[in-house]
Amino acid sequence: MKLSFSPKLSTFLKPSSVTNLHRSFCSSSISSPPPTSLKPQTPLFLKPPIHSAASSDLQKWHDWAKSLASSVGSTFVDLDNGPDSTLLCREIKWLMEDAIEEESEGMENNQRSIRLRVALEELYMLWKQRVEERRPFQYVVGCEHWRDLVLCVQEGVLIPRPETELIVDLVGDVVLGNEGLREGLWADLGTGSGAIAIGIGRILGTGGRVIATDLSPAAFEVAGFNVQRYGLQDVVELRQGSWLEPLKDMEGKLAGLVSNPPYIPSDDISGLQAEVGRHEPKVALDGGINGMDDLLHICKGAASMLKPGGFFAFETNGEKQCKHLVEYMENDAGGSFCNLKIVPDFAGINRFVTGFHK
Amino acid sequence: MSSFMFRKRASSGSWVVLCQNPEAKTQFVPYLLFSTLSEPQPTTLNKPSKPQNLSNSIENKRILDSGSSSFSLKTSKTLLGSVHNHTFSRNIFVSGSKPLALSSASGKNITGSHCSPLSSISFGSQRRGIWHLSTENRVLASGCGVLVLPMVKSLYSSRGGLAPCSLGCLFGTQAAMEPSTCDGLTVDRIIASEWLILDEDESDWKSHAAAIAQSIHLIKKRLQWKKLMIRLDLLSAEVNKPDLWNDPVHAGKISREHGSLMGKMKEVKAFERELLEHIDMVKLAREENDGELESESMNALLKMRITSKEKETEALLAGEQDPCSCYIEVQSGAGGTESNDWAAMVMQMYKVWAQQRGYKISVVDEMPGEIAGIKRATIKVDGEYAFGYAKAEVGVHRLVRISPFDSSKRRHTSFAAVAVTPINEDASAHVQINESDLRIERFRSGGPGGQHANTTDSAVRIVHVPTGITATSQNERSQHMNKASAMAVLQSRLDQLEMARQTQMNAQYSQSLTDITWGSQIRSYVLHPYRMVKDLRTNYEVSDPDSVLEGDLDGFIMSYLSASLDKDEDDR
Ligand SMILES: C[S@@+](CC[C@H](N)C(=O)[O-])C[C@H]1O[C@@H](n2cnc3c(N)ncnc32)[C@H](O)[C@@H]1O
Repeated sequence: MKLSFSPKLSTFLKPSSVTNLHRSFCSSSISSPPPTSLKPQTPLFLKPPIHSAASSDLQKWHDWAKSLASSVGSTFVDLDNGPDSTLLCREIKWLMEDAIEEESEGMENNQRSIRLRVALEELYMLWKQRVEERRPFQYVVGCEHWRDLVLCVQEGVLIPRPETELIVDLVGDVVLGNEGLREGLWADLGTGSGAIAIGIGRILGTGGRVIATDLSPAAFEVAGFNVQRYGLQDVVELRQGSWLEPLKDMEGKLAGLVSNPPYIPSDDISGLQAEVGRHEPKVALDGGINGMDDLLHICKGAASMLKPGGFFAFETNGEKQCKHLVEYMENDAGGSFCNLKIVPDFAGINRFVTGFHK
Repeated sequence: MSSFMFRKRASSGSWVVLCQNPEAKTQFVPYLLFSTLSEPQPTTLNKPSKPQNLSNSIENKRILDSGSSSFSLKTSKTLLGSVHNHTFSRNIFVSGSKPLALSSASGKNITGSHCSPLSSISFGSQRRGIWHLSTENRVLASGCGVLVLPMVKSLYSSRGGLAPCSLGCLFGTQAAMEPSTCDGLTVDRIIASEWLILDEDESDWKSHAAAIAQSIHLIKKRLQWKKLMIRLDLLSAEVNKPDLWNDPVHAGKISREHGSLMGKMKEVKAFERELLEHIDMVKLAREENDGELESESMNALLKMRITSKEKETEALLAGEQDPCSCYIEVQSGAGGTESNDWAAMVMQMYKVWAQQRGYKISVVDEMPGEIAGIKRATIKVDGEYAFGYAKAEVGVHRLVRISPFDSSKRRHTSFAAVAVTPINEDASAHVQINESDLRIERFRSGGPGGQHANTTDSAVRIVHVPTGITATSQNERSQHMNKASAMAVLQSRLDQLEMARQTQMNAQYSQSLTDITWGSQIRSYVLHPYRMVKDLRTNYEVSDPDSVLEGDLDGFIMSYLSASLDKDEDDR
């Protein structure tokens, strides 16, 4: 399908997208998670430890949480490839890690008491949401450990995936022996939580800069928060807008262009794993009929944005999209790219397309 | 000529004066200063010497041993500078002081001695300095006081800096010399005399001396003294090669090992000399009817006797890798849930043991059994000498009990295999790993992944294709961190493999888990029909399995370590 209106328009005109956007913002206020606001929420591990609980009460919570996790067995796995009991039990450990202030043990009324970053009642509620509503663990604790970073996330912002970590490695490899790229200007389109942009910002040279764009106001806010947390305000610049639009002044100037745009075919959205389909923003997932609307749109713009020798890396849905993209770049893009490569993720799925502008 | 001078002096009594002022002596000859500096602090088992101490002394040693590379020259100069100053201030002070009054103080800290003449005098531990003197060197020292200063000066100035050759000679002499008392008593002769060893509180110098001599004998055995000397000769030759630093990695390795072995050798030698000098003192004190000196020397012997016990234990952990942190890996044997449960019990035993020892532990990888327990797990144990102790646990552990998982309450025998891998912190000693030799895998539950999936599971397995060695990590919260953690495990396994290949020692503890044959049973835990834990290697046994499973392992570990080092007479 080749529609010719601009992607920004298309996003708003596509009925599915509109409802998606709508639903992703509203769904959270229907279910118990706190309503999405544009102000970034403080993740659990950064909240002040102003609550406390007797260690025996915490133990009770722990036992309860474990039995709830065990009751799941493999039902979620069978249902939609969701988490099993083992994984949920590990999450309990991490939830405690985030909720409990370390070395906080004190004594209260002859009871060992433990300082917490949320009230115990809320801890019950959070775990209930995790298991019963399938709220993603990362939204429950408000952060995702990604590479060596801890990124804040919340409803309305896509939780960065482990696969995507590799984009930063790919960039790391090309900037290693190439000062032009290392000290150059990079762009991360659809930055979400800011993951890729921050990852790249930390491996570029002192002269390197990253511009990160996103259409979603929630992503824009959260990415800003994360960029600040890593002290990268001078390295990563955020611009709100659709794909390459905010980069009009950068034509032919980019040393590198990376993106993990929405790539799931629209038809697959309804069958997604509950954590994803019910809780993550559709605007971050839905890539149109064959999932390639945004990828192709970005590819089209890439040639004009990259300077000669510039590098690009895109994440895709897998083998089929990778091939499609390479084909497109070889044929339709008028031979402006070279060294096209398909790179697999650690699960062995062909995940990324990389290459250079001639 | 010199020994003649010495005897003369000694007979005239002036030697005593010198002994009371070891300060002066230790500072005169550079190698003496150095041996004082480098003498490792006595350590206890629970508080092993800090690695910084070690590396310090290594550096000092390297300088003085080889004295040839440009690096050593530079450092030597600094050393010389300080030698010079000390010599000056102390000699002046010492020469005008009353010997006996000076000897009573007891200081502890070596560095402290550099502060002021005053502190240097009250610096009792430096008294050992003199015990380092061989007969020849005493001559040098015997020119005590002001006289010596010009001597030292000329030694330095005439050579325009440190003279590697003369130092080398001095050093060589020292290493080869069998220390003895004035009347020719050596450690071996003390042992041969078979003096009665009485309780520590019996004030009998022969008893103390015999006990200490036996300790020294045991320590040497544990250090595999003969092998150590041969290796040291080899390394010394290597270190003195002018082209050593053409290959910095190799050079680093060689000089590290050289420094570390040299340190061990010198520590024992110094201890030996200390013993003999105290004996000399006791005898002398009796000759001169000096009660104060006699009781003082007696106390010194008693102290040595106590320290020697600590040194015995220390010597159990003298292996190059012993100070390292380590991974402990437990794998369950055939037999399903009962075996998995046993593996989990074994792992729990190590966790508690490590915690009680004050080590930091973290779970790297854990594969739970379907119903209970674990199929395998790896923990990282962080802390000094973790590997030294834990290596004693390598092998198969066997459990006999009525299985709680068997509804008909039958007796079951289960097995769990334990592997221990040292973690070498020194990156330059690591085996180089080619990125292209690695296959990195993520466990996937199927499905297209990427944006489709939300999971907190980012476990990574790394396969080193040429060797087939794998490492897995799943307890980190990001894939990147799991990869780093698995990489670290893989690195240490490959290092261990390389180590085994190089030394071809193929000792039991150098095996990785994959090599463990299920035949190499080391310990049996019986909960039914009787209760006992027995080590099949040492026959050490305990009748309370609970305490063992609760981490009380030190008895087993120490008995194994001493058995494995003490049995081999040839290694002496
Ligand atoms: C799959 S997410 C990737 C987020 C982040 N880069 C990551 O890897 O975790 C896609 C992102 O693209 C953003 N997006 C969707 N449509 C867009 C558009 N038209 N222009 C810019 N960003 C868009 C979404 O808000 C979302 O943050």
